[in-house]
Amino acid sequence: MLKQLKWNESRSLLLSQLMVGVFFAALAALDIFGWWVVRYICEHLIAVNHGLAGGYILLGCLYVCSPAAYTVLWDLHRLLKNIRMGQVFVADNIRRLRRISWCCTAAAAICLAAGIMEWPSVCIIALAAGFMALIVRIVKNVFERAIAMKDELDLTI
Amino acid sequence: MPIVVNLDVMMAKRKMPAGELAERIGITPANLSILKNQKARAVRFSTLEDLCRVLECQPGDLLEYVPEE
Repeated sequence: MLKQLKWNESRSLLLSQLMVGVFFAALAALDIFGWWVVRYICEHLIAVNHGLAGGYILLGCLYVCSPAAYTVLWDLHRLLKNIRMGQVFVADNIRRLRRISWCCTAAAAICLAAGIMEWPSVCIIALAAGFMALIVRIVKNVFERAIAMKDELDLTI
Repeated sequence: MPIVVNLDVMMAKRKMPAGELAERIGITPANLSILKNQKARAVRFSTLEDLCRVLECQPGDLLEYVPEE
């Protein structure tokens, strides 16, 4: 039973790490082919003509959000690595969760700006990023409390 | 913390080495060291009971309240 549980946990971690890798590859591809992706969206997917300025705004939004997305993926990778090594309730994980939360907030702000300026549909991405920032922030708060409790327990003799 | 653990004083009085005490009360030497060096946040009643039994003393001999200045 315990062996099966460990195997499942290990498999789940591996799957998460794999997903982070897939998202990293997708982001890299989006950065490389950003110009063509935006052109395709403007020409084929959107009924309203946003013009050249609209295209540049969308492209700018993509590239400005990119560093935040890379940071999030890198921190997720390190978080999973820490969990794999058995370091769950450590200060490093709190730091990473806080950074992920701020990156999501930044992405939400950028997408909101793009949504207000030209692309109302991008506001949905802003909403999703903002919601994710909130969830990660709450998880970070839970982790902080858990670390304090663990310290208390470790020093109870 | 205003609670001071006088474990080292009691150990010296009873001439009890740390390793032997740790073994007799069933805690690790590392945990005994935490207790001795005033790093512990809390002491279980069971640990206190074992310490009192092995060192033949009262809880008051081990713990002391020193008001903070």
